[in-house]
This record gives sequence, structure tokens and C-alpha cells, in this order.
Amino acid sequence: MKLTEKLWQALDERYDLKPLLDFAREKAVPRHRHDWMYYFGGLTLFFFCVQVATGILLLLYYRPTAEAAFESVQFIMTRVPFGWLIRSIHSWSANLMIASAFIHMFTVYFAGAYVKPRELTWWTGAALLLLALGFGFSGYLLPWNELAFFATRVGTDMVSKVPFIGHWLLRVLRGGEDVTGATLTRFFGIHVAVLPMISTFLILLHLAFIQRQGMHEPAEEPKLPPRPFFPNFVLREFMVWLVGLALLAALAAFFPWELGKKADPFAPAPAGIKPEWYFLFMFETLKLLPAKVLGIEGEILGLAAFSAGGLFWFLAPVWDKKRARGEKSVFALLVGWGVVLYIASFTALSYLGVFQ
Amino acid sequence: MRLLALSGVTLLASLAFAGPLPQAVGIPGKPAQDQCTACHQALDEPRLQQPALQAAEDIHHRQGITCAGCHGGDPTSEDPEVAMDPKKGFVGKIPPQKVPEVCGSCHSDAAFMLRYAPNIPTDQLAQYKTSKHGLALAKGDGRVATCASCHGAHGVLPPSDARSPVYPSRIVETCARCHGDAALMKQYGIAGTEIEEYKQSVHYQALTVKNDLSAPTCNDCHGSHGATPPGVSSVSNVCGTCHLTQREAFDLSPHKDAFAAMEQPACEACHSNHKVLPPQDQWIGVGEGQVCGSCHAAGDKGAEVAQALFQALTGTVERMERVRQRVEQAERRGMLMDEAAVKLEEAHQALVLARNEVHTVNPQRVGAKTDEAQAVLAKAEKDAEAAEAELRFRHNGLKVSLVVILLAVVALGLKIREIERRS
Repeated sequence: MKLTEKLWQALDERYDLKPLLDFAREKAVPRHRHDWMYYFGGLTLFFFCVQVATGILLLLYYRPTAEAAFESVQFIMTRVPFGWLIRSIHSWSANLMIASAFIHMFTVYFAGAYVKPRELTWWTGAALLLLALGFGFSGYLLPWNELAFFATRVGTDMVSKVPFIGHWLLRVLRGGEDVTGATLTRFFGIHVAVLPMISTFLILLHLAFIQRQGMHEPAEEPKLPPRPFFPNFVLREFMVWLVGLALLAALAAFFPWELGKKADPFAPAPAGIKPEWYFLFMFETLKLLPAKVLGIEGEILGLAAFSAGGLFWFLAPVWDKKRARGEKSVFALLVGWGVVLYIASFTALSYLGVFQ
Repeated sequence: MRLLALSGVTLLASLAFAGPLPQAVGIPGKPAQDQCTACHQALDEPRLQQPALQAAEDIHHRQGITCAGCHGGDPTSEDPEVAMDPKKGFVGKIPPQKVPEVCGSCHSDAAFMLRYAPNIPTDQLAQYKTSKHGLALAKGDGRVATCASCHGAHGVLPPSDARSPVYPSRIVETCARCHGDAALMKQYGIAGTEIEEYKQSVHYQALTVKNDLSAPTCNDCHGSHGATPPGVSSVSNVCGTCHLTQREAFDLSPHKDAFAAMEQPACEACHSNHKVLPPQDQWIGVGEGQVCGSCHAAGDKGAEVAQALFQALTGTVERMERVRQRVEQAERRGMLMDEAAVKLEEAHQALVLARNEVHTVNPQRVGAKTDEAQAVLAKAEKDAEAAEAELRFRHNGLKVSLVVILLAVVALGLKIREIERRS
């Protein structure tokens, strides 16, 4: 008997693994014209794993204080062997993870995969996207450079618009009245402990729901024989991950992530302060709003509208009754395309400098 | 006490402007309390009300010296007839001719001034008498500047107060009140363009843009109280007060004796006097707009030396710019270029010294410094080359890994196809 077989036998005797293996052999994934969309959730997970691995490596050298943060990132990028690569990959992978998560969300939405019985999968996914944005926002400040500092000042300032508890929230987030070393320490704690802990739990839950219920199959798609999960689907997923890795390598090689200038809290804010691309549509919308609308501050109104819109999107499984019955929903489609067009156009126009 | 005060008043009535009035002097550091300000603040006529309103800020008033310190009279009386009684030393408005003596009555008294500020100079009046202003005043010209013209008559602030008209960054505007008036200056044989020229200078830029209060303004070259134009022979002494190394270098040059023989001002010949523009390497030469051309012509020894100096400097500047661009580009691309930046700074320092040596007009001395700069630049250039090589290595490495990953993708694709075909 071969060594591997012996090992398998020993483990199977102890843990009764055969049913698991049989399950993996029998597991299948639906096949149809749009089955490419199944890979984006996995791709997002892949980028998350890259983030965890590179994040741990960065932690070996990063120091979360206003005095040392910028210098430690500079040290990582210039003195630590392959530190430049790790940091560049961490930054690019963060952006790709969010991009992939957005694509995953919209494909799920347009496929109508959120309806009963998959409401909890949709909600855990939406929460994961919010957490990813939280990762982006908190991580952006950590290199303590000029752009990050002022963007964080603008970003956190929005929290103060929340009625009644805004100022209190702002102080909690910033660790004081202004963005200081205390904010950096807080953001660091949130970025490396709080968010990863919640995300890991939610990812496991999200995956458990998918595993339990299987992939959603759009009703209108012509039926094809399902694809075996192992090895066909796994190998395909692995191929997508390799493409993701290739994309990361190309971006890190040809567009290395810059360090910028060290933040100087006493310097005037440089011109053209912008948040990361995934916040641009909100940022530009809030800038476009007049200072006062019917006596209410424009920004408050904007933030209230975003909150209401987000909640409406989140509650899609509740209000979309047509799709739950297996019918087509023109309203849901219009909402979906409206959101996609709005986000895409505002982001693109912002990059083209139309709003300046 | 009353007897002492009365005898003091009687004495002062006969010795108007001869010294501080005892009744007018309170406790140093304690603001003066007098009836003059109380009554004048209540007057309707602005001319009479303004001085009293300014009293609270006035350095003299804050030190316990009342209006009577200069104007005489009885500052304790509520009765205007008594307060402004000439018998009590009241002199009313002080004519311009008398202003220096009135101020000097305290400010020239070292023992008296010691009570307020031990280090304050007490030679202002003596200096003023030697100034162009003082000399003209002595001849009876009442239009020239006196103490009050620059410091203000009422509401006098210490020169260290940024609101004072004699605060370094405000002096030029104070002088400009008269010296900016071309018509008035013409009567004294002065061009009247000095202020506008000065405002184009590096000195004014340093003072107002960089807020460098040590940068020279009018009084730093002309003197404050003894204001007078420096003569031809002393211009280099005036500039040399701050520009020591340039002056030492100039003293080594053949220009020193030649300029003296021609009775030419030294620094001013190339740099101008008021309009001291930022010096440029391009000034060196005999071509159009170049300063050496004022005395030298193409083909002479001076023109050859100028050409050598020009080439040494511009050659170094061009190389420094090239190296700086490479270093900055490498830094932008994520390389640590601290050491190269230090070398660039070293080269810059050597270039500054080379520019200083230009005042010796000695190509060997200038060349020694530019050679130093070039040697350091060569080292910085090596650092930039090493950084660029490292960046190329990284790029190539990533390109190779990209190819490997893509090959793996293709291989996997083929494998998947094979598996699916079999099943």
C-alpha cells in the first residue's frame, strides 16, 4: 500500500472522511450561458486571501504612529527585500478586491439570485462589501501621506453630519477633534483586527449558505448538464485566480504604488483631494449638491439619500416579489441599470475632470 | 510732595522741552492716569479726540508718562484753564522743528531711560543731527522727517510691534510716504524711484515673501536715525556687513583697486543699489545685458575670464539638473535616494561657494569649487544609475513571472479542456 493511501486510511478511520469525499465527487455547479459570473465571488475571496497574506507581511515592519508610519512604509518599500512588491500588491489587490466584489454584487443582482431562499446570502454579501469599503477607507490613511491625511479628514467629516450623534461619532472615529496620530492608531486597529475578524466570520457564513443551498440557477436560462465541482469547476476557478494574479503582477510591475509626501497636518490641503475611486461617485454627488436645499444642509440631504438608497438596495429580497415568484421584474432591472449607470458615469466623469 | 510738585512745575515753565516733567511721569510699567485723556476722549472734534483715543496703546502712556510729558500743563486738573495753563508749562502742539528736542529730552537721557529699558540706545538725537533729515531741519526745513514722521506722534508703538510703522517689514512703506513722492523728492535732487526699485529686489522678496525680518530694508543700509546715503567708497562696506564672504572674495580681485581708481562703487556696479535682483550666472559675460560688458569688450582678457567663469558655472548647473531629474525620477518610482539627495546638496553647496568665488574673478578659484561639485555629482549619478538598474531588474523579474503565470493559465486551460472532453 502506498504511503498516501495509508495516510488516507488512517485519517478516514479516525474522522470518517469518506462521506466528505463522496460529497465533493458528487457536487456539481449549474451550467448555462452566464455561468462565468460564478467566478467573481471566488476571485474576490482570492484577493482577500492575498490581502491577508501581504497584510501580515507588512505588519512585520509597519508602525502605526504619526511619527513613524510614513517612514516605516518608506522603509518597507526601499530597504526590506521585496517590501516594494508586497506593498504594491497589497494596494493593488485591495482595489481589485473591491472591483471584483462590485462585479459579483451586480451579477448576483441582475441574475436575481437574492430572492428566497438566498436572502441571507445577499445580506451577508452586502455586509461584506461594506466591510471591504471599510478596509479601503481605514487602510488608505495608514501610510500617513498627504493625500490620505486630507481625504480622511474630508471623509470622517461626513460622519459629523449624522443627526444628534454626528459629533460624538466623529470624535470616536478620529480619537479627538481632528485627524491626528490617535486617528491613525484607531484606523490601524480597525484595519488589522476588527474588520478582519468580522469579515472572516461573515465570509465563512456566506460560503456556508452557498454550500448548503448550492449556486443559484437563473430560471430563464436553457438547462445544460451541470458541471462537476471537482475537478472541473475548481480548476476553472483556479485559472481565474491565476488570471487575477497575473493582473496583480502586471499592475505592480508597471504601475508601482506610490508613497507620496508625508502628511503635514499644519500644511494647507493640496488641490484636487480625492478619495479612492470606489467613493468617488458619492464624493462628487455631495460636492454637486447646493449648500442648502429647503433649509436643510445639502450634504445631510445627500447622505440621507445615500443611506436610504443603500437600504433600498439591501432590502431587494424584501421588495422584489416578482422575481421571488420566478417572473421577470422590469422595475428591478431598471433600478439595477440605473445604479450601474450612475456609479459608472460619475466615476468616469470624475476621472475626466468634468466636476472640477 | 505737593511742594515738590509745585516747584517742579515752576521750574519746567521756564525750561520748556528741557527734560521730562515730573508730574507727567508715573510708575514705569503702570499705565498713566490723567485728566487730559479723560477730557479729550469726550471731545467731538476728531483732531482733538484722536490723540486721547490712541493713548491706551501708546508705549509712553503704558509706561506711566502722561500727555503732559510732551505737551506740558497740569495733567491732574479737571479745569481746562488750569490744565492747559502756559504758566504750568503747557506748550500745546509741538512744531516739527522742536520734535527731535522734545523726544531727545528723555531719549538722550541715559539715566532716565535706564528706568524703562536698560539696553535702549540714547544716541538717537545725536545721530539724527548728522542725518540728511537732521541737517535740513537745522537749516529750517520743516518738511523733512522728524521722530514723529516715522514713529507716529500719538499711539507710538515699540519697533518690535508688527503694527508699528518702523517694524522691519513696514519701514519701506513708512519711508515711501515721502520718498515715494517723486515730485517732492525732485526738490531734493532725489530720483524718487528708489522705493519701486527696492520692491523688485531680493531683499524685499526675502522680507515680505519669506518673512525674513533680518533681510535689509531702507534703514539697514542708510541708518535709522542717522539716515544718509552711503558714499561711493562705503557702499561695499554697507553690503559687506551681511555679505562678508563676497566682500572678502572681492577684496582679492583685481577689480578692487581698479574700481577704487575709477571711483566706481564696487557691489553696485554689477548688482545695482536698490534694485538688487537675484544674481544669475547669465550675467557673466560681455554680451548684451551681461554685466562685464560695461567695462570689457569681446577679445580682451576680461572677456576671456568671464567666458571661463560662465562655462564653469553653467556646465555644473546643467549636470546638476540632469542628475537631480534622474534622482527624483528614481525616488518617485519608489527607490530610496537619500544618499544621492545628500550628494546633490553637497554639490549645490560647492556651487554656491563657486558663485561666491566669482567675486575674485579668478578662474582657478572658481574652477576648484566647480570641480568639487562635479566630483560629487558623478557619485550621485552613480547612485541614480544603480537605482535605475534595480528598477529594470524588478520590472524584468515581474515580466518573467507574468509570462510564467500566463503559461500556467494556458496549461490549465488545456488541462480543463482535456478533462471535459474525456467526461
